[in-house]
Amino acid sequence: MKRFSWDEMMNRYPAFFAIILLVVALTINFILQPNMFARDTLNSNMRVFLPIILLSVGQAIVILGGGIDISVGGIVSIVNTILATQVGLNGSPEKMWTFVFVSIGAGILAGAINGFFIAFLRLQPIITTYATSFLYVGFALFILPNPGGGIPAEIANVYRNTTPLGLPLAFYVIGVVLLVWMYIRSTRYGNYLYAVGGNAEAAYETAVPVTWVLFSTYVASGFMSALAGIAITMLSGSGNAEIGVPMTLTSITAVVIGGTALSGGVGGVAGPVVGAITLGIIQNIISFSRIDTWWETFVKASIIVVALAAPGIINLLRRKKV
Amino acid sequence: MQRKPLFTLLAFIMVLSMVLAACGTPATPTTAVQPTQPPQTGQQPTQPPVESKGPPFTIGISNPFISSEYRTQMIAELIEVNKEYMAKGLTTELVIESADTDVAGQIQQLQNLMAKGVDAILVNPSDVNGLNATLQEAVNKGIIVISVDQELNVPGVYNVGIDQKEWAKTSAKWLAEKLGGKGNIVLIEGFPGHPANVARMEGVDEVLAQYPDIKVLAKDTGKWDEATGQQVMSNFLAAYPNLDGYWTQDGMAIGALQAVIAANPAKFPALVGEGRCQFLKLWEQVLKDRPDFETIAVANPPGVSPTGLRIAVNMLLGKQVDKSKLGGANGLSFVIPVPIIITKDNLQQGLDICKDKPDAYLLDGIMTDQEVLDAFFLK
Repeated sequence: MKRFSWDEMMNRYPAFFAIILLVVALTINFILQPNMFARDTLNSNMRVFLPIILLSVGQAIVILGGGIDISVGGIVSIVNTILATQVGLNGSPEKMWTFVFVSIGAGILAGAINGFFIAFLRLQPIITTYATSFLYVGFALFILPNPGGGIPAEIANVYRNTTPLGLPLAFYVIGVVLLVWMYIRSTRYGNYLYAVGGNAEAAYETAVPVTWVLFSTYVASGFMSALAGIAITMLSGSGNAEIGVPMTLTSITAVVIGGTALSGGVGGVAGPVVGAITLGIIQNIISFSRIDTWWETFVKASIIVVALAAPGIINLLRRKKV
Repeated sequence: MQRKPLFTLLAFIMVLSMVLAACGTPATPTTAVQPTQPPQTGQQPTQPPVESKGPPFTIGISNPFISSEYRTQMIAELIEVNKEYMAKGLTTELVIESADTDVAGQIQQLQNLMAKGVDAILVNPSDVNGLNATLQEAVNKGIIVISVDQELNVPGVYNVGIDQKEWAKTSAKWLAEKLGGKGNIVLIEGFPGHPANVARMEGVDEVLAQYPDIKVLAKDTGKWDEATGQQVMSNFLAAYPNLDGYWTQDGMAIGALQAVIAANPAKFPALVGEGRCQFLKLWEQVLKDRPDFETIAVANPPGVSPTGLRIAVNMLLGKQVDKSKLGGANGLSFVIPVPIIITKDNLQQGLDICKDKPDAYLLDGIMTDQEVLDAFFLK
């Protein structure tokens, strides 16, 4: 039998550490909150985590391709305001379906705008998407200047309270996302993506359509942001043009905690999913450990910093030993 | 397929959580802090029944925004007032969920409060509608839910706060009268679209409608931020050097007055202030050079939250609310009177209050237990 090798695990499976982290976090959470795996509790947690999970998956694809997308929150806001103003609190399910598709279209379009600037005009991803983030939030404010509007409570309840076979709806959504990703990963496109993220020049020389692959990552991110926007609208049931803004940095944090390198070409989609759940669980741990209010923000940030630094620290210690 | 183990692991975790979900359910009753005697019915295992419990009660606080003096003072006062009830054995330590967070984060805060089995929740909402479904769930669980500082329209959710519109009307009226019903003014508002700001600006518009000779030259947002208020006011002073007056509110009035002091025009515009110690001190300072300077400061008290805590405790004790005393969209709002208005007549009183307080202190007022009972409960 082959001996377990930490280095090998870390190198081959960037999400390996993320999963360890998640298990540790889950265990602590479970000790502090023994009913956390009860159906209602699990579901209420997962329905809050799902928007960030979806957003992180989109973010991860962009980061894999060597870019970054600061505008994801803006896209979430656009989708939220479209749904809240067009469907309305008394809208019909048909109307909801129509505007779900409109929203997805809007998300893809917004992603395509980012992609056009970055892949075809070769602009810096971080500056471009920072700029377009204001464009998108501004547009959302134009659609819905004052918080309000919403979707019918019955439709929101489908998202909030559906637990097929006693499992939260979010698990099924995550399952589908991972299956689709597994498929994409096995295609030629999947290889292109890693090649472009790893070394775009080398990829170009080996006839990889670098421009189109880059473009596609932002479109994919726009698409996932739209899904996240739909999810958060169904969670809150209401519209607010600012709703997506704080989600952007959380999505990037989730990707990094999930073991995806910001340099691109390394990582996957399972890691960010795990990372996003871990971030949510950390919030729960803070909440249930009854930390003094004034320390809450500090403690949470410390845990996240340690979580981000831990793989590096472990590697550093191991190198010293040799 | 080199990445397979990763998914296997993930799948394993999902299955694990599934199994735990199955075992977790019946184990719940053991989590209750006090061992409850009645045999478990096994029907609704997630939450212990709230109604049948006697004191001590547990009260949860949900606050999504910490970077303001208002919120800091609010949390500190809640802890203080709760100690009073803890000493009488009526409540336990508050369960406080307070951190900068978004709508989803506040939903998580509220869910965690529910999972902790609190008897009442005081929530300072981050969004007018975004929490509705979650708060409804809490109400359905028999938890008393009180929205403080901001009025929500959710059936079963009570509101405790000042009347924001009346609050703004007080200072707007003062300004209009000070101007003799005539002149050119500018307005600096808070966050456009924020419910409190909307209500306040409605109040200002209503007052100004009665004074047709007062002309509003311009309106801009100071985002409830001192520095922004100062900047906006500087721009206004540059654009309209002969400005007769301006109306502004919380958080921006200090900045605006500082802009006026810096510009030092021959004649100060008539201006309104805010109920904060730093403003009163600035007022006192201006008086040294201009003895006829006067303004108004209407308190926006963080004390409405501890007052809300008193209401919650009395409701938990089974005292009946006098519904005829409540107002608001669905008749569930406890309207708290503004505790103090500072004008030139009682400036000294305000300064005395501020003597041992930090500059950021907001003039405040917390109703006593007896006052709450007299004002809102059946005898």
